Amino acid sequence: MAATDNNRDANQRGASGQKLSFSHRWRGYKSHHRTTLRTSFKKMLQEPLQTILTVMVIAIALTLPAALYLTVDNVQQLGSNFESSAQITVFVQKGAKTEAIQGLEQQLTAMPAVASVDYISAQQALLEFKALSGFGSALRYLEDNPLPAIFLVQPRVEGEIDLGETKKVVDAISGLPVVEDVQIDMAWLQRLHSLIEMGHKIVLALGITLGIGVLLVIGNTIRLAIESRRDEIIVVKLVGGTNAYVRRPFLYTGLLLGLLGALIASIMLFSCLLWMSSSIENLASLYQSQYRIEGLGVGGFFTLMLLGAVFGLGGAWIAVSRHLRDIEPR
Amino acid sequence: MIQFDNLSKRYPGGFEALRNVSFKMDAGEMAFLTGHSGAGKSTLLKLLMLMERPTSGNLLINGKNLNRLSNSQIPMYRRQVGVVFQNHQLLLDRSVFDNVALPLQVSGYPASEVGRRVRAALDGVGLLDKEQQKPMALSGGEQQRVGIARAVVHKPRILLADEPTGNLDPQLSTEIMALFRRFQSVGVTVLIATHDISLINRMQLRIMRLEDGELTDDGGGYGGY
Repeated sequence: MAATDNNRDANQRGASGQKLSFSHRWRGYKSHHRTTLRTSFKKMLQEPLQTILTVMVIAIALTLPAALYLTVDNVQQLGSNFESSAQITVFVQKGAKTEAIQGLEQQLTAMPAVASVDYISAQQALLEFKALSGFGSALRYLEDNPLPAIFLVQPRVEGEIDLGETKKVVDAISGLPVVEDVQIDMAWLQRLHSLIEMGHKIVLALGITLGIGVLLVIGNTIRLAIESRRDEIIVVKLVGGTNAYVRRPFLYTGLLLGLLGALIASIMLFSCLLWMSSSIENLASLYQSQYRIEGLGVGGFFTLMLLGAVFGLGGAWIAVSRHLRDIEPR
Repeated sequence: MIQFDNLSKRYPGGFEALRNVSFKMDAGEMAFLTGHSGAGKSTLLKLLMLMERPTSGNLLINGKNLNRLSNSQIPMYRRQVGVVFQNHQLLLDRSVFDNVALPLQVSGYPASEVGRRVRAALDGVGLLDKEQQKPMALSGGEQQRVGIARAVVHKPRILLADEPTGNLDPQLSTEIMALFRRFQSVGVTVLIATHDISLINRMQLRIMRLEDGELTDDGGGYGGY
């Protein structure tokens, strides 16, 4: 070959196909990714029905578990709103001396797990009872005040309620002198907690099931795309295209489908919340609550997009690794 | 450049497409491969493209044994080879330019370089003015020339052609052979599989003849048939 080098024209000089500098290669690689992304997108637009169907299936499959997750999340928020009412009522022994009661108050306040302590004397309790119950006149026939003095103890809660911790506080208070009884309504808190836990499990199960569905749907769409580009794949392989090169457009298609699905799922969730929020605000105002429904948020949005991307790429990868091997030039 | 060393290919089912084929081609050499349909021409080209692997024997390209190439190395090897297909294998949904550009894009050339080389290759086959057309808008001869441009755009060291003049008239065939001559003159090893006797007779070239998978004749000169 060397002897004929001089005859080569300018275009041919030094043009052994394999010698490409790294920066050339890198530029070629980057521009190839750009064009692949663009052509993948164009191909999707060329078959709008197939694309819309796939994207909608993905969107619905992502919306369902996400909506359930948001519901559970909101119930949890609601639950933690009620935690303020998870106060401990400490009944003081009847006839306890004022000093003993003061001592108890100091001991309660000193406990690290206690946020605040309110003292309601027997007289105060009686007045309140008279005012609220409507049995005021009946109480006049009683010789002395039947009500005990009580302390309303607010446990210190950080983040989620820890029922074990609360129980410990209750036990500790029971052991204090002049304490007659300690009450806390934990049963409904426990029920709420197990409900939320169950909700989380349902979200997970639903998410996994529908996730597999998304993988299959994307896999099938990609399989069809591979089938329709069979000739192209063969030619690309014949002129020296690597498997990675052949795979790339399909992976991009899967990624785009997943991202579009996630985007539409976010829009559907957002619209649902918008639609529901006014009635929820009405309901909350009836309960004199400041409760507001929590949406997806920026973090949730990106998580959903990430999930869409992962499912899209994953489904495409499965299809590509199963079907591209079969397509070899013969 | 190309060396077949006692090479045999038997397909599953027992059909022996090639039997103990041995020959050598130097760099810059041009030769015809001829024989009846089913004599093994296509198999021989497929072996050279690594679309098939030999059952026994060795195939050396530039001193390298192709048997030792793993499947993942096949794309790199194919980039050194240009192939002109009988049915030209053009992608009908892409322009002439994009078809010719494919081997360069696959090898990772940047766009500016691709444009320059594709135009040089199209200029070489006289189709520079058709680069934006779709293959279907071209005549048979033009399509074949696009296929040739694609086969040489990445400056392969080996050019294989499978019936390149298959359904072309004699004048077009001559033009295409002249093109191959030009590539040979810049050092490309050219192997043309054909049963076009008149074409072979017109050119003074080495002729290898396959009969039932065996190389029965390997020589130069006129009227080798």
